[in-house]
Amino acid sequence: MNAANSHDPGQTGDLDRGAQPMFHRVLRAQPLLVRDTLADIRRRFAADIDEDALGRLELVLAEVMNNVAEHGPWIGETGPDGGTLRAAPMIHICIVRHAGGLSCAVTDDGISLPDGCLLPGAIPDAHSVDLPEGGFGWFLIHDLTQELCYYREETRNFLAFRVPVSEDASSDPEKPAG
Amino acid sequence: MNLTVAPDAHRIVIRVEEQRLDAAIATRFKDRMREIVSKCSTPVLLDLRQVQFMDSSGLGAMIAIHKAMPHGISLVLEGLQPNVERVFRLTRMDTVFTISDAPRTEREVG
Repeated sequence: MNAANSHDPGQTGDLDRGAQPMFHRVLRAQPLLVRDTLADIRRRFAADIDEDALGRLELVLAEVMNNVAEHGPWIGETGPDGGTLRAAPMIHICIVRHAGGLSCAVTDDGISLPDGCLLPGAIPDAHSVDLPEGGFGWFLIHDLTQELCYYREETRNFLAFRVPVSEDASSDPEKPAG
Repeated sequence: MNLTVAPDAHRIVIRVEEQRLDAAIATRFKDRMREIVSKCSTPVLLDLRQVQFMDSSGLGAMIAIHKAMPHGISLVLEGLQPNVERVFRLTRMDTVFTISDAPRTEREVG
């Protein structure tokens, strides 16, 4: 089960508010399981962070987990639509609330990330004649996170980042000034 | 994939009866919508009031629909909820789509 209450508040930062909510789950990278997991994450943090931060957290995690689902290793079999099937990697996700944000760690046993994903992303060109229909996922991940880091160890990808949360619910950290 | 299509003399209103436009549904949404809009000869109003969440695969479907519009037929998006509006804004796609500022059904007090 998910540990909703840490017995040692010291482990979750030096906030003076005792136990912090956290979320941990292991799931297959499949779109409907990703959807269910996002709903559970929203419920876990709903009482603690504002709707704007919940929305940003949900979007980032959707992009990260969907990327894993879309880029599993080929298994060399043909699916019902004629395409080659990919295996659904196993995702481990852990989110911890602490001062100033939500720290997220997502690991999976899918294929390695291409180098380009980790560089601060250029936005696909909104004014090109032939509009791109993809390539926005990593742009959004970079835009909505801080301290994004990635490494691969043997067969697993490790991705960690922070989603900022305003401690003052009345201000909106996402809105640009002016 | 639940869509309600309501044509009248001047336009076609398509209401998306889904809470989420995500990777689980994006391809079906794109295919259904392309089928509908490709035959349109009047402006299309896409009502997204019920959609509470959209990710980049949902955005990709929207762009495909935009590109599938017959020449000279407009597509207007209406009822964008905050989590949907954010994706259009951050990707600058709010400058590509026509987004109507129709009042939201939910209104914050104060």
